[in-house]
Amino acid sequence: MKHDEHAHAADLSRRNFLKRSSMASLFGLSGAVEIIPPAPRREAAARPTAQAPVNCAIIGFGARGRELAATLGRVPDANLMAVCDTYDIMLRRAQRQTPDASRHADYREVLDNADVQAVFIATPTHLHREIAMAALDAGKHVFCEAPMASNIEDARAMAQAARAAENQIFQVGQVYRSNPQHRSVFQFMRSGAIGKPSMGRGQWHSKQSWRRTSPNRDREQALNWRLDANVSTGLIGEVGLSQLDVAFWVLAELPRAVSGFGQIMAWDDGRTVPDTIQAVFEFPSGLHMMYDATLASSFDDAYEIYFGTDSAIIFRDKGKAWMFKEVDSPLLGWEVYARKDRFYKETGIALLANATKLDAQNQDPTEDDPSIESPLWYALQEFMENHAFGPFPPSSDYQKGFEAAVVAIKANEAITQNTRVEIDPSLFSID
Amino acid sequence: MAMQTVRLALEAMATRFEVVLYGEHPTRLRAAGEEALREIRQLEADLSFYRAASDLRRLNASAAHGPVRVSPRLFDLLQDATRIWKSTGGAFDVTVAPLMRCWGFVGGTGHWPAQEAIERARSVTGMHLVALDAEARTVRFRRNGVQLDLGAIGKGYALEEASHILRASGVERALLHGGTSTIVAIGAPPGEESWKIAIAHPSDSTTPLAVVPLRDEALSVSAVSGKGFVRDGKTYGHVLDPRTGHPVRGAILAAVAHRSATICDALSTAFLVLECESGELNMASGDSMRTLAACRCEDGTLEIHRSGIDLYFPEVTSSTLLTPHHHEAR
Repeated sequence: MKHDEHAHAADLSRRNFLKRSSMASLFGLSGAVEIIPPAPRREAAARPTAQAPVNCAIIGFGARGRELAATLGRVPDANLMAVCDTYDIMLRRAQRQTPDASRHADYREVLDNADVQAVFIATPTHLHREIAMAALDAGKHVFCEAPMASNIEDARAMAQAARAAENQIFQVGQVYRSNPQHRSVFQFMRSGAIGKPSMGRGQWHSKQSWRRTSPNRDREQALNWRLDANVSTGLIGEVGLSQLDVAFWVLAELPRAVSGFGQIMAWDDGRTVPDTIQAVFEFPSGLHMMYDATLASSFDDAYEIYFGTDSAIIFRDKGKAWMFKEVDSPLLGWEVYARKDRFYKETGIALLANATKLDAQNQDPTEDDPSIESPLWYALQEFMENHAFGPFPPSSDYQKGFEAAVVAIKANEAITQNTRVEIDPSLFSID
Repeated sequence: MAMQTVRLALEAMATRFEVVLYGEHPTRLRAAGEEALREIRQLEADLSFYRAASDLRRLNASAAHGPVRVSPRLFDLLQDATRIWKSTGGAFDVTVAPLMRCWGFVGGTGHWPAQEAIERARSVTGMHLVALDAEARTVRFRRNGVQLDLGAIGKGYALEEASHILRASGVERALLHGGTSTIVAIGAPPGEESWKIAIAHPSDSTTPLAVVPLRDEALSVSAVSGKGFVRDGKTYGHVLDPRTGHPVRGAILAAVAHRSATICDALSTAFLVLECESGELNMASGDSMRTLAACRCEDGTLEIHRSGIDLYFPEVTSSTLLTPHHHEAR
């Protein structure tokens, strides 16, 4: 009985149990209203923790796995003890980057290690299901990169397993939901400062081939899973999802249809996965959101913008936000004193989560705040705090992960077929 | 299959990085080049003195208050910097930032500061004020005000790491450079023995000072910039001796070729600090290292110290030359 052997990893202390049950009932009552726990404060990082460090393992040590490792190194209470990758070159990089962690080519070795409490899955998307299910079965807490899976069946099986493992954390890497800056703007938008939301638009532009190479041809094929139409969710899934997830969150609705277009414009190297895409999402409220992504141009990078009758709000640079007010919109009061930035002929009012704090510290708010960590750091910190005091439903739990995966998969379907695809609301049910 | 060329570029670390790759499969060459440049971008994010979220910025903010645990790679780089500091007798020093600021060399042309200001800056300059604990992988500053700036070694380190990625990806012929002042050569262009890098003459724009053949090796060139200020009839460039806290009039140009781009980058900077007359300049030759340094004598003539690098002779066809623009000495 594997599960019993590893059960201690997910053991709940009495205090954890009490906390969990009270929060669970609160969440049960909340219905459709989303409860945003107060943003984690960075000061908490310095607190002496009652718990022993959480023993972590990373499965998949590509670029994302390395970023996870670097970030875990700065998160209090995280102890990276094992790294797994099937490619020896990645393990050699692991040896340099994380010399204290053991290295493995087979993920089962990691799951069989009773000391490993939490696994971070950063493999190609289509391999998530097998590893995540095995990890849950082995009693591990799981942080799974987004998209959760490359097809709906896999995503649903994972969500069901995560729901069944109620004493284990299952957090999906839709990291903006944990980001204090996003939470702050979320509350701001929900308070009505945008007026009537009328349209959304997002983009991700980066000039790159999206290809990987290796002297070993089999390995090269495996590395290029993003360009394999059989398993890839394309640009809309592999990069668009994290931006679209913010839209589902701030708009508090999920699309019921998506029209998509995909082209190969820059990298006609035999690939079949489009390097340039456009998609239009239709939401039940009637609002449409447009999204485009390309590997042909890097112009204007990535952002999402929400247009309302009183103002437009733009998110960019991983959580920075600005508001552009209509001249006839009501005066909010504080914006008179807020920092303003010029965007060609427009003036943006900066929406800063910690503007007063910066002011108090005499710090120039136009500079990046050194006390602000990356969205991934806050997501991992949420995971560790959840381990200490939970498990509570993570802000990006199996349901949120599943919903985003369903939209991305359906959108990719629309894009590859250049058509409009309806998304039946029943698809969002994991039963 | 015919050899093809792929070129890629990246703006990072306040300079332009470029990669030129030769091979039979341009699609694979580009993929390898892109990964190498991604690594440089990542290192910029980790090692930048200016970026708020960089590991280095975090270290500078808190290492005076207690030991700060850093990533293994940053720790290794700081150990390298310490070794080079020792072997150059302190001429290379990554703690020189407060002195640079004191002399107005950061974003200005410089001015002669008050003696107390120099003393204050000197008191927080020196690698001996940085305690590295290899066991715990922590860094601690022994005095409040110490600041690490890896500007004189980071570019070389980034290029070295990027070149490892190119080799692991199967690239056999490539040239990488950052701002043309630090260059890494992998293999040689098709039909050639080596890459040939020209070092511009400090006072003659028509003829290079030297042409350095490079193969699986790195080269870094540093030179005193045109900027500076005049005092008592003497011109001072933007080069400070970390050991004395004062501007020096050492070499005006220095080049170092070695397997490690990190070492090249750091030593070419250090050479500008070493005194030409005292024989200090000879210290780093040997150890499969090639060096060249040019000093300006009182009468305006150039005095060249060199080991393993030949001066230019015109038989080399100029079409094969890459002319580096020296990075400004800091």
